Amino acid sequence: MLFKKSLIKLALFGLVWAVAPVLPLSAFADGADEIIKKVEHNLNGKTAVMELTMVVKTKRTERTMKMESYSIGNNKSFIKILYPGKDKGITFLTVDNSMWQYVPRIEKTIKIPTSMMLQSWMGSDFSNDDLVNESSISEDYTQKLLEETDKEYRVELLPTEDAAVVWGKIIMAVSKMYYLPTTVQYFDEEDMLIRELAYTDIKPFGDRFYPTRWLMLPKEPQKAANKTIIEISNAVFDAEVDESYFTKRALKRYSK
Amino acid sequence: MLFKLALRNITAHKKRSSVTALLTAIMTALLVFSSAWIDGSHDTMIQSAVEIYPGYLQITGKEFRANPSYDHLIFDAAAIEQELAQNNDIASFGARFESFVLFSADEKAVGGMLTGIEPEKEVHLSRLSSSLKKGEYLSADDTNQVYIGHELAKRLKLGVGDEVAFVGSGADYSFAADNLKVKGIFQTGLFDFDANSAFLAKGYFDRIMVAENYATHFIVLPKRPGQAAELAAAIADNIGPQYQSASWNQTMAGLVKAMKLDSIFSYITLGIIFIVIFFVIMIYTFLAVFARIREIGILRAIGTTPKQILALLLLESSLLALISVVIGGLIGGAFAHYFHHNPIVFAGMEEQFKQYGLAASAMPTAFMPLMILRDMVVMFGLSVLSTLYPILKVNRFRPVEAIHHV
Amino acid sequence: MFRLTGKIAWVSLARRRTRSVLVVLMIAVSLWGLLFMEGIYDGMVEQMINNAIRSDSGHISLFGGGYRLDPDLSRQVADVAAVDDFLAKDSRVLSYVKRLKQDGLVATAHYSRGAAIFGVDLEVEERHGRLAGYLYQGEFSFGRRARGAIIGFKLADKLQVRIGSKIILSAQDRHSDVSAAPLKVTGILKTNNMALDENAVFIADKKARKLLAMDEGVSQVAVILHDEAQIPGLQQELRRRFPHLEILRWNELYPALMQSRVMMEGFNLVTSLLIFCVAALGVFGVMLVSVLERLREFGIMLAIGTRFSQIRNIIFAESFFLGFIGFGLGALIGWGTLYYFKIYGLDLSMFSDAFDEFGMDAVTYAIIRPSYFVTALVAVTMATFLSVLVPLWVLKKAKPIEAINKN
Repeated sequence: MLFKKSLIKLALFGLVWAVAPVLPLSAFADGADEIIKKVEHNLNGKTAVMELTMVVKTKRTERTMKMESYSIGNNKSFIKILYPGKDKGITFLTVDNSMWQYVPRIEKTIKIPTSMMLQSWMGSDFSNDDLVNESSISEDYTQKLLEETDKEYRVELLPTEDAAVVWGKIIMAVSKMYYLPTTVQYFDEEDMLIRELAYTDIKPFGDRFYPTRWLMLPKEPQKAANKTIIEISNAVFDAEVDESYFTKRALKRYSK
Repeated sequence: MLFKLALRNITAHKKRSSVTALLTAIMTALLVFSSAWIDGSHDTMIQSAVEIYPGYLQITGKEFRANPSYDHLIFDAAAIEQELAQNNDIASFGARFESFVLFSADEKAVGGMLTGIEPEKEVHLSRLSSSLKKGEYLSADDTNQVYIGHELAKRLKLGVGDEVAFVGSGADYSFAADNLKVKGIFQTGLFDFDANSAFLAKGYFDRIMVAENYATHFIVLPKRPGQAAELAAAIADNIGPQYQSASWNQTMAGLVKAMKLDSIFSYITLGIIFIVIFFVIMIYTFLAVFARIREIGILRAIGTTPKQILALLLLESSLLALISVVIGGLIGGAFAHYFHHNPIVFAGMEEQFKQYGLAASAMPTAFMPLMILRDMVVMFGLSVLSTLYPILKVNRFRPVEAIHHV
Repeated sequence: MFRLTGKIAWVSLARRRTRSVLVVLMIAVSLWGLLFMEGIYDGMVEQMINNAIRSDSGHISLFGGGYRLDPDLSRQVADVAAVDDFLAKDSRVLSYVKRLKQDGLVATAHYSRGAAIFGVDLEVEERHGRLAGYLYQGEFSFGRRARGAIIGFKLADKLQVRIGSKIILSAQDRHSDVSAAPLKVTGILKTNNMALDENAVFIADKKARKLLAMDEGVSQVAVILHDEAQIPGLQQELRRRFPHLEILRWNELYPALMQSRVMMEGFNLVTSLLIFCVAALGVFGVMLVSVLERLREFGIMLAIGTRFSQIRNIIFAESFFLGFIGFGLGALIGWGTLYYFKIYGLDLSMFSDAFDEFGMDAVTYAIIRPSYFVTALVAVTMATFLSVLVPLWVLKKAKPIEAINKN
């Protein structure tokens, strides 16, 4: 998964988009559904290979990491850390809902236990679960267009009864020009804003446009000083990706 | 004059006086010993719970206890160290850095606490070193040598000399991982603690966790552990508002409550025993007073006022009570003193104690002269009070009635 | 003859009415205190044991082989059908439940916590352990389409969830994949079984099976018997019949509770001894004095031909009268008090708000056991008997006939 998948998942776009779900009968319903469909199409690909930089800021520290990510569809991904040197060669593999990690310093592959899935991933404001979770907007949420301005649509996403997502509500702003998300706000059940993800700096990669800067801002008071920025420096979509990346052996093999 | 008379009366009825005195003395001894036992067992429980690991006094970042994240660390451990070194009420202190990591021996990972400690100082601050079961305790210049809880070692299938890896995050949130070698295995007896904890020498820990000059806690051993709360307040004044200094009463509020709960039951029990004692003393006084009813009648007949008789009888019972209470206090105190130095051992009760988070089965009694004095005063009051009814009753007889009373 | 002895004894007691009443009162009060303590403390311990038995262990629990050391989904109670068959037919079994159990994670948008997930059938649980009686908030139901979850009150507190809040439950399924499901909190339980209150998430059996990809198999079968005395017998038979299962009694699963019970028994014994020593001392004092002051009287009786054994009987009778009247009175008040607390419970919450933190009920319902009264009767008899031995010996030594001439 990693990056592509996580990207997609984070924003809840990752779907292999099959048949449109049952639509609510609101006046905007068709509109919202269409919008999300296009967004998903624009963010989605059969495969993705990316290079990216992640900057994690807290009240007192700032760290930069570089990594590359390979993914196929929605449920397989592989990430390798390139920088800093101390962490170079650490690899992550996610297949379906499980996650493994290889650490060259200890020459060990570790399966991340369920109890750790909600812990922070590499100290960032993303959790392990964000990377693994296969939830998808089309399957897990009902969509409703809240507002339309000159530049953006605002779509409200409410989890369906069956969706195993912690959020009570997500509000996504979508750029009319690119049909890509600009901001995604995550709320709890009491409508309290928990975190906000902003996508900016849209650039062309081959035949598609893609947001290259993501900013995650936690909104809970105790984490208010934190933020995580991901910048995508290079991306290739829909190229052939070697299946051998998505095995446990790859963790060690591609670590070097 | 009254006093002499009272004394004479007591000595004249040696048998009766001594039985009453003996009774009161036994009761006093019982009370003194019971309270010594209650206080002693609570002290032991608290002491053992506190001394195993948490310590009497903890210094942390201001918000660390509410929200134990790396954002609320002690970021200048040297400054705190300097401050604490100047304090004359501190017996010893040391820094710790606790972090949650994944341990892994094979692919299966187990979450747990990996803590950097100052091994030499920790000897005075906790029972870690004395809980050694196998292998060796840490020393300051150890590198990747880990001192691991018995149950955690069992979960990871580790013995002394085996390797275990951990992954976690450093104080700067960077990725941290290392291979560690088991140097020693400890068992404090607290299952949860033994199943989750492992320790490294802080020097090495700080390097791999990027935690130099950082700490999550300072643990302080006061010279007088009883004054931990006062010392905590005094330290708090000195180290500044970005830190919190808390004594065990705060850090282990649950334990304090448990002890209070236990005291409630102890006092209910003692209360019931006292009711019985009250009756017994009353009966003995009753017997004593009525045996002298003729004498009282005669005294009245020759013109002694009921007030004077009341005073005389009360003085007698007070004197007698005083003597008995002193004897009882001495006996009870002697027992408390003996069992203070030769604790009673409850083998096989460990499970129950563990429920309260304790790992001690030897319970010394408390030996506190002030408490003994308190109990003696209580008993004195109780025994004088229980003589009131018979004394008042006998005083209600008219002189002629009393003289002819059979 | 007995009537006469009794009459004389009675009259002598009546002559010193205040003194006799005091002794009777003293015995009654000590007995009352003893009964009160025994009944309340036993009630407290039995309540804790009862909570554990009803909410979790039953009298006997069956687990798959090796389950307790490594509670993995693969270690199930195999051949449930055979176990079912046996338990359903055995006349000693009052009821039993089957539970599916797996450790997992429960999360909200703000918090996440480890949890023990139980797949249960609420109707069966209610018949089995009256689980609904522990409901603290909400309702005892998984709601429409079984999307509800009933969780322990401490867990609810830590997650800061209320009735109606959404929680996400995730766990490893049978294939070691992580599986998750959204649930609504429909009920909050307070069993005062600490392990459950802190960790338990009860969900519908069907839901749990779907989450864990377990079509069949159960992790635990908890059995409650008609009679506690039959526990070891049934356990042995089960062990013989199902040798590959782990079959444990409640006191093996909750050793701390068993120790509480043993400790309470010891405590009650010590306390009763203590109280009766004190009471015996009281009777002794009275009897001694009453013998001493009647030396002349006894002397005259002996002089006119009464045998010493008759006098001894009178003294015994006096002592027993005191003892038995005291016992009767104390037993009556004690029984009344315990009966009151058995019905209405003794609320100790004013002393401390910490009870539920330690797995105790703040309201204790007393227990009344016939053995309390039997033990007390034996103790009173002993106390009254022993306490006249010295006075009798004193009487014999004093040569009462000589006493006539004194004064």
